[in-house]
Amino acid sequence: MEENNNTHSPNEPEKSKASTRRDFLKNLGLAGVGVATGAAALYSGHIFEAKKEATGESKVLLTQDGRLVSVDSLEIKSHEKTGEDLRESQSREGIPGRRWVMVTDLSRCRNARKCISACQEAHHLRPEQYHMNTLQMQDSPNTAPYNMPKNCQHCDNPPCVAVCPVDATYKRPDGIVLIENDRCIGCRFCMAACPYSARIFNWIEPKDAAKDQGIEYNAELNVPQKLGTISKCLFSADRLREGKLPYCVEACPNSVYYFGDENEDSVTNGTTKETVRLSKLLRDNGGYQLMPELGTKPRVYYLPPKNRLFPFEEAKDATPEKV
Amino acid sequence: MCFKKQFFLLLIFAAALGFRVTAQTWVVPDDQKAVTAPAKFTPAMQKQGEQVYTKNCQSCHGLPGKDNWVKLVPPPGDLAKEKAQKQTDGEIFYRITTGKVPMPEFRNIIPEDDRWNVIAYLRTFNPKYVQPEPSAKTAFTGRIVTLAMQYSEPVKKIVVTAHEKLKDNDKAPAAGIEVMLYVKRFFGNMQVGDMKTTNAKGEAFFEFPADLPGNSAGNVDITAQVNDPKNQMKATPAAATLAIGVPTSRPGLTETRAWWSTRGKAPIWLLLTYTLSVLIVWGFIVYIVVSVMKIRKLSQG
Amino acid sequence: MTMDDNKLTFDKITSDLTHHIRINKGFLVWMGFLTVSLVACLYAYSLQLRTGLGVAGIRDYVTWGLYLANFVFFVAASLIGMLISAVLGLAGMKWITPLTRIAETIAVSFAAVAGLVIVSDMGRPERLAYVFIYGRPQSPILWDVTVIITYFALSLLLLYLPMIADMAILHRKGALPSWLKGTYKCLSLNFTDTPAQNRIINRSIRMLLILLVPMALSIHTVTSWLFAVTSRAGWDSSIFGPYFVSGAFVAGSAAVIIAMFFFRKNYKLQDYITDLHFDNMGKVLVTVSLVYLYFNINEFLVPGYKLQRADAIHLTELFSGKDACMFWIVQIGGLVLPILLLFFRPFRKPLPILVISIAVLIAAWFKRYLIVIPTQEHPFLPIQHVPQNFVVYTPTLVETMITIGPFILVLIIITLISKFFPVIPLHETAVEKGVEDV
Repeated sequence: MEENNNTHSPNEPEKSKASTRRDFLKNLGLAGVGVATGAAALYSGHIFEAKKEATGESKVLLTQDGRLVSVDSLEIKSHEKTGEDLRESQSREGIPGRRWVMVTDLSRCRNARKCISACQEAHHLRPEQYHMNTLQMQDSPNTAPYNMPKNCQHCDNPPCVAVCPVDATYKRPDGIVLIENDRCIGCRFCMAACPYSARIFNWIEPKDAAKDQGIEYNAELNVPQKLGTISKCLFSADRLREGKLPYCVEACPNSVYYFGDENEDSVTNGTTKETVRLSKLLRDNGGYQLMPELGTKPRVYYLPPKNRLFPFEEAKDATPEKV
Repeated sequence: MCFKKQFFLLLIFAAALGFRVTAQTWVVPDDQKAVTAPAKFTPAMQKQGEQVYTKNCQSCHGLPGKDNWVKLVPPPGDLAKEKAQKQTDGEIFYRITTGKVPMPEFRNIIPEDDRWNVIAYLRTFNPKYVQPEPSAKTAFTGRIVTLAMQYSEPVKKIVVTAHEKLKDNDKAPAAGIEVMLYVKRFFGNMQVGDMKTTNAKGEAFFEFPADLPGNSAGNVDITAQVNDPKNQMKATPAAATLAIGVPTSRPGLTETRAWWSTRGKAPIWLLLTYTLSVLIVWGFIVYIVVSVMKIRKLSQG
Repeated sequence: MTMDDNKLTFDKITSDLTHHIRINKGFLVWMGFLTVSLVACLYAYSLQLRTGLGVAGIRDYVTWGLYLANFVFFVAASLIGMLISAVLGLAGMKWITPLTRIAETIAVSFAAVAGLVIVSDMGRPERLAYVFIYGRPQSPILWDVTVIITYFALSLLLLYLPMIADMAILHRKGALPSWLKGTYKCLSLNFTDTPAQNRIINRSIRMLLILLVPMALSIHTVTSWLFAVTSRAGWDSSIFGPYFVSGAFVAGSAAVIIAMFFFRKNYKLQDYITDLHFDNMGKVLVTVSLVYLYFNINEFLVPGYKLQRADAIHLTELFSGKDACMFWIVQIGGLVLPILLLFFRPFRKPLPILVISIAVLIAAWFKRYLIVIPTQEHPFLPIQHVPQNFVVYTPTLVETMITIGPFILVLIIITLISKFFPVIPLHETAVEKGVEDV
């Protein structure tokens, strides 16, 4: 076109030429689209005819939205999700009809850290990586220090999920906040947004990276852990699916943890296996949530550290100096 | 950090607790002291006992023989040492079973066999130990009780009826049977109300809480069991599914469109605002680029 | 080389503004130095790519470190294009003409590199496309990505459109290598200065300027929301948007003044970028600094008055704790003192204002550090049972190199743009001086 400019000094012929060329292209494009559509229609018609010839039988079926449709019997395939697809949709949908809750009785915690080691073993974590960590708290100078196990609070208004740019962390209908580390881009916005410091990041090669090679990823366990992605407490979603209590809850030797279903108004103590009413437990013991003023609506409740069964001791760190 | 302060606190705490504890010592009844293990200890039992010990006992008592128990009040002590080992098997069994603050009651935590296994394990640290003869199994002489359960609409109560089998194979209402009612929950059975004792007609009446959630139809699975901690009876529990719970079918927690929903459930206004803004601004950008491209055609040689 | 309006001809303007467009030794040495430095930084990044973000000093509590502070700084610096071209331009200020291209060059290069900086902060950079495939409209990150791309496109167009006429002039006039001439010709779109062509360009520029204002405000406001939408002490602030925007104008104005100084000196543009321009930019800098100071007072005094639990820890660390030294140097040396000095005309002379601007720009970078890092060192719940390097953030050497890399890249882009295109709009200057091409 640049050359055209030089050779054709009057503007009119140039314009008309250009417009005819454009028209030609336009027509060609239209024709192309038309041909493609036609071919597609013909092809699908051909397949339909072929199918009809093959059996000629049709069956009436009920669709998911309640319509009756007639389908050629050859077309019917049994609908089964398999392998990874099944696992992914399961971990996104959760366990129907449940609303998991946890109650942590601070009066019973003596910082045995059994919950932590069980958790780290289950989720293939390094010693300094905590889904569950027992903190030594002192609310003000004159109040007594106490041990506070702290895990993900599985908030009903989760700030971490709100900020995720790619749906890699999500809340399930049963209340659990999960992570899909196949999706996580490692931006760590969720870590910045979490007021409970509940999330951790795989800064270096995960502990069992070599051992876990080839294992199919399970979002409900977040194993294998992946470099450059987030991990955090999952309420042991994999155990709940088997009807078992979470790893930490079961490992506690001091009956600190209760776990259960808010819809059933019941929680079960992981140590004594005693099942009690959630509402009564919270009412009788003055149960509370961590930082409720932030509006996060946690699914973990705490019972205050009164009438303590164990004295408070300064905890010793078992973690390395530097990682 | 402020070690001094903590130490001071610990002292106060210890003093207070110590005072309470020394006032009452932990006495094991004589008949319990005399109890012996149901079988001869075997290496397999000792090995199993070690596992149970590691999981349930070690966090306070430490490793046997290493004297690394946790400094609690009263002190848990090393169970390989003489003070612990001079007890009879029955004494140790009783203490594990009943517990005493701060030691947990392991009755419902460690099964009976495993409690004996722990003792078998602990005895391996005592070379002088000679196991007494295992208690011989004697013929059963206790009561044989069968429970039945139904919901009585007129009194709005669950009626548990106990029958016992008499010697001549007849059935008669069993009075004085302690009955407990449980409702099934996800992780186990939850006791409903207190324990009741059956009357002369063999009946015990349980009020069912009006606010206990059932499934979507209000159904709850209920079991009635005989309270028999000393294992003196042969009791058959009763189970039933009754529509007396509060019908509960609460929606999943992800129904609402919120900031934290998935992309598909983003608030509609947000989806619209975002999409429209992007379309409008990029519409302008595309328009500008297209019109700038026209400059070529408008040039004059 | 004094300004003499009577003798000013189109040819003189052209040669003055384009004589730097030639590859000389100085350019090659400078570019060589930049390239070698960039390669070193790329090597550092390749280390991070291979072994993960663990090569940086960031850990579970301070999870956003130098990279994010750097990102905020780059977004801030890129905002200046909008202030100079759109705000001052739409307000009808004529003196900005020689500065518009400098401002747009800075905007384009910083906006482009800001996108790369944020990629260096990703644990899984290979999943960058997921942001577009699975992007959630609820996440400020998606908004940020959207507005940065849009702002970059607008700035690029705004850099290019006024250059079309210059390209045509260069193509015709310059004695240049043929490949360069070919490029100019291609970019000139056969511009022949017809009224119709000028109408399109002028209308497009006007549209761009109007679009640029909300888009530039968005880019930095949204970046501030990456912090402000959390409940963390020091970030949980409703004035973070305007606080960031005003801070960005300070940083950007300083960057423009520094660029003005070096272009003027190296490309001998004393006749076009005069002391008056420095004086005016000094006034702009002092104005935006005053606005920024006002927001600073709000940002620190109000929570400092209440001293709520978490805020108290955070502010004590800033005012008198671990970060106090950096904080006061930044606030006084980078904001209060420059304001006081710039009130006086002698300090708005080229050399003094260059020194002040460098101080302001360095302080602006450390201010971003103070916004991003200390907050994370004081979460609501105590940091316990973790290695010492989780508790206190110390940037590593590799991390520092990956942070310096983007600066080198920006310098490369600015150098290339300014080397091969007129730093000062040629056509516009000629039109304003009333010496049209004949």
